[in-house]
Amino acid sequence: MASAVDAVGNPIPTSTVLTASAKNIGIRCMPENVEFLKCKKKDPNPEKCLDKGKEVTRCVLGLLKDLHQRCTKEMDEYVGCMYYHTNEFDLCRKEQEAFEKSCPFK
Amino acid sequence: MTEAVIRKKPGMASVKDMPILQDGPPPGGFPPVRYARRIPNKGPSAMAIFLAAFGAFSYGMYQVGQGNKIRRALKEEKYAARRAILPVLQAEEDERFVKEWKKYLEYEAEVMKDVPGWKVGESVYNSGKWMPPATGELRPDVW
Repeated sequence: MASAVDAVGNPIPTSTVLTASAKNIGIRCMPENVEFLKCKKKDPNPEKCLDKGKEVTRCVLGLLKDLHQRCTKEMDEYVGCMYYHTNEFDLCRKEQEAFEKSCPFK
Repeated sequence: MTEAVIRKKPGMASVKDMPILQDGPPPGGFPPVRYARRIPNKGPSAMAIFLAAFGAFSYGMYQVGQGNKIRRALKEEKYAARRAILPVLQAEEDERFVKEWKKYLEYEAEVMKDVPGWKVGESVYNSGKWMPPATGELRPDVW
């Protein structure tokens, strides 16, 4: 992995980037997530929940882009540390604190 | 010969008259030797030892509990992160699946177009719920 962003500047939703911003996703995209999961519970057919899935994807990708724009350096460092330690939270506490201080949960 | 030279008494007539050389006790005898047991009876009592062991054990178990609390918090953090990103991943997979399923339904319609009474994409189950396709292969393009 060379960088967390593709050519245009959007963060690529790899496992590293997603786990690094998992706390933010859990807080900021909670309504969309809950709606999608409720729809899935009602009917596991993928064709029936495509619109809610689109909402979820839109919310998460927008959130990733917003996070990356607001604190580029801290997020890149945190994602790099996560990539090195394969998504192990306990080994990246320093970068996690720096990231959460610069991009606080709203 | 040499003993007689060493232990000579002036005026002795034969070797049998030599003064006796014996290894014996010093004058006044040896000092008395203590051979009685003297195991002291001081030190911690049985109750004290038991309480100390029990105290060490309880302290150790308390530390075990604290450590488990910390480990559980770490695991909870990992699971919470996975719960948060689950919907994105499922939504992406749903999109991919629907695209592939549509292609497969077209292929099925093409193959079975001459079979009378064949409903394309009909579920083989009678429960009415949607079941994922049981082809035995998860991602044929990847394999």
